[in-house]
Amino acid sequence: MKPETCAKIFSQRETVKGHFLMIVKAPVSFREAIPGQFIMVRLEGGNSPFLSRPFSIYSIYSRGDDTFVEIFYKVVGKGTDAFSRLREGASLDILGPLGRGFDVPASCRKVALVAGGIGVAPLSFLAQRCGEDIPGTEVICYLGAGSSEALAGLDRLEKICSTVEISTDDGSRGYHGSVTGLLKRDMDLYADDDTRIYSCGPRPMLRGLQELLKGRPPGTCQVSLEERMACGIGACLGCVARIRSDGEKGGMVRVCKEGPVFDIDRVEFGE
Amino acid sequence: MNVKMGVDIGGVTLKNPVMTASGTFGYGEEYADYLDIGRLGAIVVKGLSLSPREGNPPPRIIETASGMLNAVGLQNVGVEEFIDKKLPYLRTIGSVVVANIFGESVEDYVKVADTLSNAKGVDLIEVNISCPNVRKGGIAFGSDPVLAGEVTRAVKSASGLPVIVKLTPNVTDITKIARSVEAAGADAVSLINTLTGMSIDIEKRIPHLKNITGGLSGPAIKPVALRMVWETVNAVSIPVVGLGGIMNASDALEFLIAGARAVQVGTANFINPSIAVDIIDGIENYLSDRGIGDINDLIGTLRI
Ligand SMILES: Cc1cc2nc3c(=O)[nH]c(=O)nc-3n(C[C@H](O)[C@H](O)[C@H](O)COP(=O)(O)OP(=O)(O)OC[C@H]3O[C@@H](n4cnc5c(N)ncnc54)[C@H](O)[C@@H]3O)c2cc1C
Ligand SMILES: Cc1cc2nc3c(=O)[nH]c(=O)nc-3n(C[C@H](O)[C@H](O)[C@H](O)COP(=O)(O)O)c2cc1C
Ligand code: FES
Repeated sequence: MKPETCAKIFSQRETVKGHFLMIVKAPVSFREAIPGQFIMVRLEGGNSPFLSRPFSIYSIYSRGDDTFVEIFYKVVGKGTDAFSRLREGASLDILGPLGRGFDVPASCRKVALVAGGIGVAPLSFLAQRCGEDIPGTEVICYLGAGSSEALAGLDRLEKICSTVEISTDDGSRGYHGSVTGLLKRDMDLYADDDTRIYSCGPRPMLRGLQELLKGRPPGTCQVSLEERMACGIGACLGCVARIRSDGEKGGMVRVCKEGPVFDIDRVEFGE
Repeated sequence: MNVKMGVDIGGVTLKNPVMTASGTFGYGEEYADYLDIGRLGAIVVKGLSLSPREGNPPPRIIETASGMLNAVGLQNVGVEEFIDKKLPYLRTIGSVVVANIFGESVEDYVKVADTLSNAKGVDLIEVNISCPNVRKGGIAFGSDPVLAGEVTRAVKSASGLPVIVKLTPNVTDITKIARSVEAAGADAVSLINTLTGMSIDIEKRIPHLKNITGGLSGPAIKPVALRMVWETVNAVSIPVVGLGGIMNASDALEFLIAGARAVQVGTANFINPSIAVDIIDGIENYLSDRGIGDINDLIGTLRI
């Protein structure tokens, strides 16, 4: 059993404008979490916001007997705004870890992470684990944002990745343009079989990445998708995306259960 | 104090009056990690059709004030795969299993009901009549007393199992439909299904749901559901199963006091996946605190 539990906020702070790093004390079961998995978070009591909100796990760590989960989020609406006002000691209902995370083959020698905005959250956890679990693997992160002030999660990435390449839409820092444009420049660095690409970010970015990777063998790249969720455990069928099964026509697949991580070549992004 | 919690629906005994509502509890297995499914009075599975259905394109859900809209579009694995892949697990759980069914024609309903009646492990059939009848210009079976009676009669004669007919609230007088399905042989009615609603993204000026409209559920609909249950209890003599916005034991008790023989917990399962057992415990505590030894002595005791 891994029921919903009441978790206390250990700390919370704004890192870059509108982006918050929240640390909650979680049940031990969270120690098994793998990068790409997520948790459902809800304010205790009350009906506003009503549904739980999904957030990727940004990191997990233990101190003594205690387990801590970090989530890193951007304020975009009612729920995230309410979370951002909570202080240390406040309680949240949390459920997880949920979903299927990223697969990193042990033979992998080079990892490229492609993060758009707050999509950095699951990728940062992945970078951290690659460093711990497959030492010697080179982890290069491509981080894109609107402008230099919005480069969320950069400090940590610089500590855990071999290299961090930056792009901004307004050119205020790094490459001027999209993060996929930046990756395109370096594509021949990622031609080998022992290379894997992982990504999370806005849909147009993921669609661009899929385009860029056309012709690469299946399994080269995995992405974490975002859809609105109600239950987070596969029961409501609210969170589906159209996913192809091995080259066949796509079907409606639950992002919370079969995902949120999928091979990029199987995702039908639509128009 | 030892409280008797068992109730009877169409000759089937539920160990307690708490069921989980169709479409909110998957096929049961999704919740195995979160609660002891064997404690439930009954589990109602996701609506089943003759062939698998893909459902509507996303976005399918949007939160609203104290509730949510959904336009899942009855995505399901189809009755055959349900029997092969989902029912074996349900046979092991030790709770009553209710198969919720729907169709686009009376013949569809009949075929699904017939197939399920022959599959060991299903105890009751719940007929969702909120679906459009494609042969009759898309009017919902459940919004017309004649069509509702027709589909009930057909399912009853095809099925060897007791039949609950699930009513839609999107009608002017739900008691008319309830009386009609009772006359057609329904063993019980359950209500309410979702209320049709809509929500708009004012930045993009598009509907939040790809399907434009969706079904409203959650605490926002509870007062409406309770009123309709009470009216229906007064209109028919078959058992009434009450649902709509039940979030805790006191909500469930309101429905029982209004006369519902059993209740279903729906959207609340999304908020807390083990809520159904908390509700069972809460009802039991309420009864024992008040010295009521049998749940049936509470049902329908509203004082007016
Ligand atoms: C598996 C998964 C992991 C996620 N991880 C993170 C994370 O680590 N950090 C983070 O900041 N966000 C993450 N999200 C997105 C996050 O869940 C939404 O931003 C949040 O639910 C918005 O809630 P709200 O009440 O503030 O916004 P609302 O008021 O509900 O909506 C505001 C805006 O956010 C968009 N939105 C709402 N829900 C979602 C959603 N589920 N996915 C994408 N966009 C949405 C809406 O379209 C709207 O434009 C994740 C989503 C999923 C599905
Ligand atoms: C996501 C979702 C899916 C549903 N699917 C079905 C279904 O397949 N068949 C059915 O009869 N009712 C379905 N319902 C309706 C519920 O069973 C219930 O009647 C309704 O949600 C009101 O109860 P609640 O407020 O407790 O959720 C669904 C509801 C939701 C929220
Ligand atoms: S959120 Fe309910 S099935 Fe995915």
